Amino acid sequence: MRIQALRRPAVWVWLAAMLIGAWLAARATYVADLSAFLPSSPSAEQRVLLEQLRHGVTARVMLVGVRGGDAALRGEASRGLATALRASGAFDSVSNGDHLDSPKAVGELLMAHRYLLSPAVDAQRFSVDGLRDGIADTTSMLGTPAGAWIKPLLWRDPTGEMARLAETLLPSGGPRVEAGVWVSRSQPRALLVAITRAGGSDLDGQAQAIDALRHAFAPWAARGLSLDLSGAGVLGVQSRTLIKAEVERLALWDGAIVLALLLLAFGSLKALGVALLPVASGVLAGTVAVSLGFGQVHGMTLGFGTTLIGEAVDYAIYYLVQARATPATGSGALHWRRHNWPTVRWGLLTSLAGFSALVFSGFGGLAQLGVFSVAGLLAAALTTRYLLTDLAPDGAPGLGLRMRLGQATARAAAALPQLRWFWGGLGAAALALLLVLPSAWRGQLTHLSPVSAQALTLDASLRADLGAAELGTLVAIEAPDEATALQRAEQASARLDPLVAAGLLAGYESPTRLLPSAATQAARQAALPDADTLRARLKQATADGLLPADRLEPFIADVQAQRQAKPVTRADYDGTPLATALQAQLLPAAGGRPWTVLLSLRAGTQALPAARLRDAMQGLPDTRVVEIQPELDALYARYLREAFWQSALGALAVLLILYAGLRSLRRLWRVALPLAASVVLVLAGLTLAGVALGVLHLVGLLLVVAVGSNYALFFDQLAQQEAQAADAETLASLLLANLTIVASFALLCTSSVPLLVALGEVVAPGTLLCLLLSASWARRPGGVGQSAP
Amino acid sequence: MRLELRRRALCLLLVLAPLAASAAPADLGGLLTLLAGVKSGEATFTETRQVTLQDMTRTLESSGRLSFAAPDTFVRETLKPRRERLAVAGNTLTMSQGSRSRSVPLDTVPEAQVLVEAVRGTLTGNRELLDRHFTLQFSGSLDQWTLELVPREPRLREQVARVTVSGVRAALTEVQVQLAGGDRSTMKIVESRVP
Repeated sequence: MRIQALRRPAVWVWLAAMLIGAWLAARATYVADLSAFLPSSPSAEQRVLLEQLRHGVTARVMLVGVRGGDAALRGEASRGLATALRASGAFDSVSNGDHLDSPKAVGELLMAHRYLLSPAVDAQRFSVDGLRDGIADTTSMLGTPAGAWIKPLLWRDPTGEMARLAETLLPSGGPRVEAGVWVSRSQPRALLVAITRAGGSDLDGQAQAIDALRHAFAPWAARGLSLDLSGAGVLGVQSRTLIKAEVERLALWDGAIVLALLLLAFGSLKALGVALLPVASGVLAGTVAVSLGFGQVHGMTLGFGTTLIGEAVDYAIYYLVQARATPATGSGALHWRRHNWPTVRWGLLTSLAGFSALVFSGFGGLAQLGVFSVAGLLAAALTTRYLLTDLAPDGAPGLGLRMRLGQATARAAAALPQLRWFWGGLGAAALALLLVLPSAWRGQLTHLSPVSAQALTLDASLRADLGAAELGTLVAIEAPDEATALQRAEQASARLDPLVAAGLLAGYESPTRLLPSAATQAARQAALPDADTLRARLKQATADGLLPADRLEPFIADVQAQRQAKPVTRADYDGTPLATALQAQLLPAAGGRPWTVLLSLRAGTQALPAARLRDAMQGLPDTRVVEIQPELDALYARYLREAFWQSALGALAVLLILYAGLRSLRRLWRVALPLAASVVLVLAGLTLAGVALGVLHLVGLLLVVAVGSNYALFFDQLAQQEAQAADAETLASLLLANLTIVASFALLCTSSVPLLVALGEVVAPGTLLCLLLSASWARRPGGVGQSAP
Repeated sequence: MRLELRRRALCLLLVLAPLAASAAPADLGGLLTLLAGVKSGEATFTETRQVTLQDMTRTLESSGRLSFAAPDTFVRETLKPRRERLAVAGNTLTMSQGSRSRSVPLDTVPEAQVLVEAVRGTLTGNRELLDRHFTLQFSGSLDQWTLELVPREPRLREQVARVTVSGVRAALTEVQVQLAGGDRSTMKIVESRVP
């Protein structure tokens, strides 16, 4: 028989398709970051946010903590690690609070342009009074520890512009310093911040950076120190590892459970092997379709793929059991194709209709789920229809416990209609509950993230130590070119400065500190006097004799050099650690997006209401106040709303297709009622259990309707075949299919990935209810299950 | 018998040893207790800084007001030659110069922290705080004492070599800061009000 099967073209077509599919799947890119769950057509505020999340420097920040030993050892480790990381080439910059370590090149660059960069420079600053004040500011630091920094520059920089620059560039918050390096205030831990060279969404690059870090830390680990590691990239890599492990674990367990069930039902290894073919084909087809359609496959889509095992195996079970039903050898496939395939095909069509609604989602993650499901189900059904009929023309050879299963099912099916009023009452009560209870649809974007609570706690504690609050408020400015962007940033800064002076804001970051607009730099240059004028004024300004004027010639020379200097440009910072800071604040135009400036605000002791900020920014062109957390919440709300519409459309499509086939509102009602009741019961149950419902629950409900419609259709079919009452085999196939899907999805509830749990807790009870309700409310209560073989 | 004698001697030694060891700190303890009793105060100061600039030596003079309120507020207001204000409250250091003002967490600037804690720790008689940052050397008597504070952290000693605080009973009379580079500042304090 096997030889015979090999002669069939279906086998070869399938094999070729599988080989190509496997090759394509092996070449696919797998990602696990949150970006797939971000919208493709965002609002202006969201665009800024997404740009940051996807490509911003924030996505490249690695937060490092060093624990163990004593403060001196941790300090030594921090310095050693920073040196090693800077040398590793995997990082753009590494900071650990050790100012002595800051590269010379930066200091020289700033020194050489200080009169173009310092906010203090104007004509007044170079008047006799201005010079006297500036010099007094500087000399007042002599004889204090700060004097050690000032003395070497004193004759070149008597007005202290470098001190001014340092003041504006160094954040006023920051971690505690102990043994010369950043340390936590709350626990014995030294802190470092490293900016990876690899982009935040380049998880392979991030993984390499993590490896480089662990390698550099090995000598310290050997001395008993340990590492705390977090940051967007680190969490991304962790998520990917977690999802990968979970997908593997679930696939393994799922496979084992399905195998056990099939083995029990068929008692045949061959049947088992055959039953798994549609599943394998479906997962492969889904992966390849997503990879071809999106250029990458999200790890979560694959996680979802394991659940497809539950549904795709249904097709195999239906076939293997139902084709077995005919007495004549060799005619099973033909009989099944004639009598059962139309119903299966119909169920398939409704499932496809349900999931294709997701394909058009503006959110990549949902669209991937849709494409995966459609392609996967289609492949599984086609494999069943064409390959299985060739490989096992008479269905499953073995009998196993199926006979008993069938009899039990028949008895249950006969008894269930007695419960019709119970289910009806329960459904009505659930509906009433849903109407009365507050809505449980309060999921958040972070619920989609597989990052563990423990990892989030560590991330939060490192951020708190570093004074790097993740969620805050931004002023985002867009402009057609760099010059305009910088000018607008200066305008916005002029509005923010009074708020800072009034103590309403602790401060803000602006790219114009490093890169003032060309106009501002030109104005500062114009304020610099020529050598003779400066010399004359200095003589008066230094009359107190503290700093003799004739020693200040280096100052005069520097001022003259900078009068002629070319203005500072972005390129001047390339290759310095400051480039990273600048990149975070000034994003060049790319891919149709304009130049963007991001001024991140540091809240004062009390948060400044956004409305107040918006008032302050009133009238500035293309300048927006973006509050990150509310914006993320709005994003998720939109996500959910869109998914609701798609699910509603999907459900409508399912109804239309059912009606097209049933051609009777009465029958449509009978088929749709169990599905609707199951959805209501599951929702009521989850609401009562206090679960925060989100997008994945919605997708789960869609799956319930898609799978459940198969059961409902079967019972409708049975009711139509009044003459020949349902045979135990068909009922057994339904129960078996249901058991596998319930088992698969119940397994998801054990996952540590929240979105898989969400799917599991909806689909497992939902599909079980669909079967129970379809059986309970089947027409002709006495008609089913009476003709046991 | 001899054994017994030796045992007794040993016991005596054990009993007396702590007393002997704590003889000096007993005065330090007494001083800190005395200081801790003062909850607030105001004073005027005159400060002289000896600064070396290449081959020149310069003396900078300034004067102003000091005020302190337990547990952790300390303000130094310079009136001459120019107005300048330096205020510490808890972990916040605020420096004001003319119209400009800047606040930083004190513990982010260890070299400033060490100076602040030397004065604040002494004023509040906070032994635990002083021990955390410095090795202490007490000399003199309660009526005329000198407390020498050397930063514990080697890297800080490369900036601030030593802070010497002198006083008469519960009143500070002088704070001298010796910087590692050779510069030195001496602040003489005249208490104006003891509440």
